[in-house]
Amino acid sequence: MLELIHSIREKSRELLAAGRVDGVLCLARDRFDVVQPRLILRAEKTGSIETSPKWNLAKLALRTLRRAGPSFRLAVACRGCDERALLELAKRNQFDPTRITLLGYTCSREQAESCLCDRPYPEKPAAGEKIEGVDPFADPRVSALLTGDEGERTARWTGLLGRCIKCYGCRNACPICVCTPCKLEDDLWVERAVVPTELIPYHLIRAFHLSDTCVACGACQDACPVGIPLLALQLVMRRRLRERYGYEAGLEADRKSPLLMDFDHASPAGFELPAWTVSSEAPHER
Amino acid sequence: MPGVMVFLCRCCGRIPPTVDLLALGEKIGREEGVAVVETRDTLCLPEDRAAMLRSFEESGASGILVAACSPYGKAGDVVTTLSAACDGDRSHVRLVDIREGCAWIHRGDPAGATAKAGDLIRMNLGFLRHGKRSADAVVAVRPECIVVGAGSAGMAAALSIARAGHRVHLVERGMGGGGMLKLLSHVYPTDAGAEEKLKPSLEAISAQPLIVFHAKTRVVAATGYAGDFKIRLASGTGETNLHVGAVILATGAGVWLPRGLYRYGELKEVLTLMELERRRREGRESPRRTVFIHCVGARCPERPYCATICCPSSIKNAAWIKRADPGAEVTILHRDIMMPGAILERYYRGALEAGVRFVRFAADAPPVVSGDGKVENVSVFDAINGVEREIAADQVILSTPLVANADNAKLADLFHIGIDRYGFFREDDPLHPLETRQAGVFICGSARWPVASGDAAAQGEGAAMKALAILGRERLSARSLSRLPEGKLGHARIEDGFCSGCGNCVAVCPYEACALQKVGGALVSRANKMRCRACGSCMSVCPNGTIQMPEHNARAVGAMIRRAFSPREAR
Amino acid sequence: MNAPETTDKKPSPRVLVFACRWCALIGADAAGRKKTELPASFRVIPVECASMVEPDSVLRALASGADGVAVMGCHLGGCRFNDANHVAVKRMEALGDLLDTVGIGRRRLLLSFGTAHEGHEFAEVLGNFLRELGPLPELTRWRKTLLNLPAFR
Repeated sequence: MLELIHSIREKSRELLAAGRVDGVLCLARDRFDVVQPRLILRAEKTGSIETSPKWNLAKLALRTLRRAGPSFRLAVACRGCDERALLELAKRNQFDPTRITLLGYTCSREQAESCLCDRPYPEKPAAGEKIEGVDPFADPRVSALLTGDEGERTARWTGLLGRCIKCYGCRNACPICVCTPCKLEDDLWVERAVVPTELIPYHLIRAFHLSDTCVACGACQDACPVGIPLLALQLVMRRRLRERYGYEAGLEADRKSPLLMDFDHASPAGFELPAWTVSSEAPHER
Repeated sequence: MPGVMVFLCRCCGRIPPTVDLLALGEKIGREEGVAVVETRDTLCLPEDRAAMLRSFEESGASGILVAACSPYGKAGDVVTTLSAACDGDRSHVRLVDIREGCAWIHRGDPAGATAKAGDLIRMNLGFLRHGKRSADAVVAVRPECIVVGAGSAGMAAALSIARAGHRVHLVERGMGGGGMLKLLSHVYPTDAGAEEKLKPSLEAISAQPLIVFHAKTRVVAATGYAGDFKIRLASGTGETNLHVGAVILATGAGVWLPRGLYRYGELKEVLTLMELERRRREGRESPRRTVFIHCVGARCPERPYCATICCPSSIKNAAWIKRADPGAEVTILHRDIMMPGAILERYYRGALEAGVRFVRFAADAPPVVSGDGKVENVSVFDAINGVEREIAADQVILSTPLVANADNAKLADLFHIGIDRYGFFREDDPLHPLETRQAGVFICGSARWPVASGDAAAQGEGAAMKALAILGRERLSARSLSRLPEGKLGHARIEDGFCSGCGNCVAVCPYEACALQKVGGALVSRANKMRCRACGSCMSVCPNGTIQMPEHNARAVGAMIRRAFSPREAR
Repeated sequence: MNAPETTDKKPSPRVLVFACRWCALIGADAAGRKKTELPASFRVIPVECASMVEPDSVLRALASGADGVAVMGCHLGGCRFNDANHVAVKRMEALGDLLDTVGIGRRRLLLSFGTAHEGHEFAEVLGNFLRELGPLPELTRWRKTLLNLPAFR
């Protein structure tokens, strides 16, 4: 653990000292001994860098880049989930990826279990050893939410989502949600000034918008003040994308989401009529 | 008078027994934003239609809603009349189908049908409140055309366009025109010599001052849209920039070599059809015993398609050998004979009468060519008679399919059109076989699917007519680039300042109409009106609804969704 | 199609149909011309292409009183808009996963790509859907069901 922190501090110092980056966005201890995200601009300050707790920095990185000039180069000391979130943001053209240097570090087993993370490491870790991830569906906290017939599920999720106080915390914490304006603030989709909110539009529109971009960082449910297990909604769609199209958000920089591509693009072997469509016709080729 | 005029059609009493128009009219009259409700007998008849139009124009109402039959019935014409009165603007006119979509399918439930008709009208009233109209775009048409490929199809296309008085750039990667005809000796089904067939076209092209022939040239870059393409050509001597109004791709297809099949390449008497054509052109005689093998490398897992030209060409040559030397033994080993149409069927009968022998084999039991140092024998299991046959042979001709050119993919990328899984250019849909997904880019000949030279020329002329429909106009409006008489639905529109540049619309657009542009330091999407075909894919993937189809915008549809079901009584 | 049983007190489910005007809307029209009897509880919104239907609209419809939503487009490979409906079917399928998770169930989202361009097929596909679909539980009208479920952590 200490070794990991030292390694990140050292690498940050080298980057800043060599002038390869203009700043390092990281967790750091301030003069009141509080750990929080900070932008470190001088090499001698890198001693204060910390690696825990888990704190998603992707959106902060985006904001930093936008506020700084176009020539500002940023290093981000972050976890695997942040790396994937940054990659998704770069895929969505939110920043120029050449301006960012990643100092990724791996997560501990304990952290992975707490996050239910199946990939608790960045692709190329700057520090730490990759450990095997946790299968979230094997964990009772998730599997218990996904059992039961429609009636039980409806009752369960009505209860869970019914707690919502519509603080928009899930949306604000999400590293991927960057649209302005947001559909969740539009009366057309979600009636404003109604609390508790309408269940289907608010939660399901938010969840569906992330169906192919969610990197399962868990920031939404970390932010939720009433403890709604929002990640479970995403995990199912993520698993389905992986099974059906071999696609996982945040891994391949040059691959677009299969939900934006037609069958011919998704599979070079052409397509067959999927079993899920209601049709009496046989698959036909062109 | 503000508000919407609502016209209910009685359809000579074919709607009222089920839908209670009196109660419906009363209910709709109380709706917010409804100025007048009028019920008429037959809105499709000229008198009623004229009366409706007159009262609408006199009232100065903001919109008009017609509840009548389905848009595929007479009501479609009614709406067209009304839109014409609104200067073609359909955003003020809304048709509600209460006959086919309501009265006729809910005859057992009049109360339900009346309630449904009310809901449908309320939905469409909501739509009218938010319906908008896209601005049109108009471009000046460049009255020139480029034809890529100078084979049968390309030459026919270029000549047709030049005869209509437009300049044509005929681009050929080889030396001269002619394409695959230059490789052939004779063509089926007329058995005319390929050279005689080619000569008039070549002469016409060199005599035609409007045709600029670019030999040994390739297309290296292309931008633009229907009416206004900018194209860069490269040849050994340098680059040329063209500015044309339409593009015709006639790049033809390639010959597939059956390496390793039926001892091709090992025994020099095993030839492809193309090699036989060359020998025939050179006037060489055929040996006495010839065996043709069909479907070599076609209708197999790698190329499951039938290339359609191989059966006729091999039957053409078989009959030629037999007629030149009645003592010759000519056998065709086939899986199925594909000779569609009266002319080709007669051609096939002719070969049978000439004495060509046909033996059918099964795909899983292909013939075997044997011989030591030279072809001696072909053994095949006759699938019809169920006997093993040994056929003595001096030469074996392999009938292979045409395959797509390797640079089709590159050209498709340049012009933003599609290719199918075998690499041929893809037509837009079966009803528009010469058009591609990009307006103004047309395909013909074997580049889109293997065809004989005559068919290729016919397609070339067809593509030329399609191109002339653009070239013949001075100005081209984006709305007119539709196959619908009423024009295109509209064009995607991007709200300024709200686009986050995520690129979803760019990825999803089937016509590559959306593109990201740098505006004030940030990337935002821009939709090209000439390319947009108004499918609306973009609006369904835009995360915050920045891109909209004004004629079908989310607010209008949202209003419909919210009004679709009147509140249910407590249950 | 059988006539709806008037003695049946159970209201038939309310279904919002997004019908592509190149096929399903023609099917709906043909079903009307043949006077095929269908329950009066569905409403059709014509769209240019099935790919125009936002998944968010489906959710909005379920929240606005629909018990089910049908998205009907051309058969796969026969889209007028260069396979735009392929993308639509994939998106809608992903939405089905989400609906399954929360217990609304993907059965409330009818995806019909291919059959609905004929009147009898339109009537059959939609009729089966209407027959088998029950009313949507009080998922949107949840105010009275604030259950005391344990927190995630």
